[in-house]
Amino acid sequence: MKGRVIAAAAALGALAVTGCGSSTSGSGGGTALKSCVATIGFEGPITGPVAVLGTEQLHFADLALSMDNKANKTKISLVQGDTQLQPSQATTVTQQFTSNSKMVAVVGPAGSQEVEAVGPLMARAGMPFITGSATAAALTTGKYPTFFRVVSKDSVQGPQDANYIVNTLHPKSLMIVDDQEAYSTGLVAAMTPVFKAARIKVDHESVPQTTTDFSSLVSKVTSSTSVVVLPWQVAANAQQFGRDLAQQHKKAVIFGTDGLFSPGTFTISGSYVSSFGPDITAIPADAALAAAAKAKYGSFGTFGPPVFAATHVIDEAIASVCKAGQTPSRSNVMAAIKNTDEPTSILGQPIKFDSHGDLINGKFFLFKISSSGKYQLIPG
Amino acid sequence: MAFFFQELVNGVTTGALYSLVALGFSMVYGVLKLLNFAHGDLYMVGAFTGYFVIQWFGGPAALGIPVPLLLIIMFVLAAGLVGGLGVAIERFAYRPLRDAPRIAPLITAIGISFFLENSVLLLFGGQTRIYNTPEFISLSSGISIGPVTIDTVQILVLLSGAALMIGLRLLVSRTRLGKQMRAVASDREAAEMLGINVNMTIAATFFIGSALAGVAGVMAGLMFNQVANTIGFIVGLKAFTAAVVGGIGSIPGAMLGGLLIGIAESMITGYVSSTFTNLIVFGILIAVMLARPSGLLGRVQLAKV
Repeated sequence: MKGRVIAAAAALGALAVTGCGSSTSGSGGGTALKSCVATIGFEGPITGPVAVLGTEQLHFADLALSMDNKANKTKISLVQGDTQLQPSQATTVTQQFTSNSKMVAVVGPAGSQEVEAVGPLMARAGMPFITGSATAAALTTGKYPTFFRVVSKDSVQGPQDANYIVNTLHPKSLMIVDDQEAYSTGLVAAMTPVFKAARIKVDHESVPQTTTDFSSLVSKVTSSTSVVVLPWQVAANAQQFGRDLAQQHKKAVIFGTDGLFSPGTFTISGSYVSSFGPDITAIPADAALAAAAKAKYGSFGTFGPPVFAATHVIDEAIASVCKAGQTPSRSNVMAAIKNTDEPTSILGQPIKFDSHGDLINGKFFLFKISSSGKYQLIPG
Repeated sequence: MAFFFQELVNGVTTGALYSLVALGFSMVYGVLKLLNFAHGDLYMVGAFTGYFVIQWFGGPAALGIPVPLLLIIMFVLAAGLVGGLGVAIERFAYRPLRDAPRIAPLITAIGISFFLENSVLLLFGGQTRIYNTPEFISLSSGISIGPVTIDTVQILVLLSGAALMIGLRLLVSRTRLGKQMRAVASDREAAEMLGINVNMTIAATFFIGSALAGVAGVMAGLMFNQVANTIGFIVGLKAFTAAVVGGIGSIPGAMLGGLLIGIAESMITGYVSSTFTNLIVFGILIAVMLARPSGLLGRVQLAKV
């Protein structure tokens, strides 16, 4: 244990010295900034059914903050807000955050449905917020002017996944099941036209996210249905769906979207899962950071690193504001975020936003689950 | 036809769970005229009890005891612990309000529901816990009749659910305690005047109803593999609906209501679409209530004026 702590501290120190990659325009990593004090918020599902993902996001936000504070000599503090992936809870947290005059930006929330709920509140308060996992395409049509994301959107993921299914898995018929949340229905809307254009017979089903009994639905999977697409966010549900398939001797393969990327929970052999985030342990430039995160917090998946990137963007924006001799406020931090131009990042790709807050040239990654339950990246 | 029978098996199994939880709702309403909204959370505590028993004996992949013995311990512990919790809730939260206006215990019940949900959150965290049943009860075990499959867990749920319901029916109709429960449900004051220990009878009712919810929680954990502090709400709502449709206060009514909801959900998912399941199920239930306001097996109550 002691050794792990020392290793983590050493790795963190090394990363802090190198400034962890590039920074936003105008902010010089390592430049001393006197009295650069600011508060930012974190919104994520720290408890609830997807607490594992939310906790990972919080860990990476903390990690980015501690490294950036050290590198930039800033005093940015983080206020945690637990949304439980519930729009109502996210609204309550956002009301607390927006009424906190010291808060200049927010990392999160995690889910698209939460962004839908809090977007108007954030806009009214002029609060910039950057999500590391909300991917619904409808979020960046311009209706939430203070919203940004460091991950790609479902209008990229949906067609990308659908095309892979059509061109590689060649199903004659498939079932697609939404979980009645904005994230899920948005993906279904993005994928279905691709399936229909390929003349695949589509059985579109819908179950509430709280459902845990899929036996009746699985009974509807016919022998000609070779793929079941689950654009869900609760990995335990997909695991149960897979078990129900096995119990009823159904051969269909599950294709999950990024919400199901959970190596510890969703382990149905032969399934596919896409992810907005890469496996950073496979990115050489992230080796020290990945080791530090693992030593400090244990194993992690793909939900944490994008939140690290989101927090880093905010930290650098605040630092650039201070360097310009201004006191960080929501408006000047927002302007600095808009000017973000990182040629590389923890995600292995540049971070630059378009006029609606979308990541320019973002992409998704596809994994296949092996018989041992391990996620293996599909090249391409 | 095979598809119909597969959906019937699925529906009856889920319905059996609803029935077990609905029985507790109905029994408590019978003796206290109280809608115990904390009942779904007792089911959740039962599911957690089962989970921790599995962990105690080495976890699903490395059990240190035979599976039948594990199941017995899970059911007995969940029944005992949750039954005891039900008695404690009655004693400290509901009994002081027994003569208060009916809205007071109702609000208290909602408060107890939140208390239990958040206590479990504080104690064990918010993450979903996985039973991993297939690690110790193979998915391929069970019965296959043509293309219709009934796995071991479903058989277990169906048999133990049926045994518990029959046992409860016999207890209420054939035993001294059952007679006392019926007397208290009929007229509490008169029962007291006849020498029946009302407090003890109500506590016994809470114990039995809560124990059934605890056992149902373990069954749900075995079937659906996951347990979290929030799972009680939806099941509680469906069980409450089952109890009302069957005729709240009626034990056979609660059994019938649970089975009807389970089968209706399954058939609508299978033959129409999962998209419309809740819409059609609750539409049917509204129609039933309009046609028989006291529920399918409920009796019209004559009010004293």
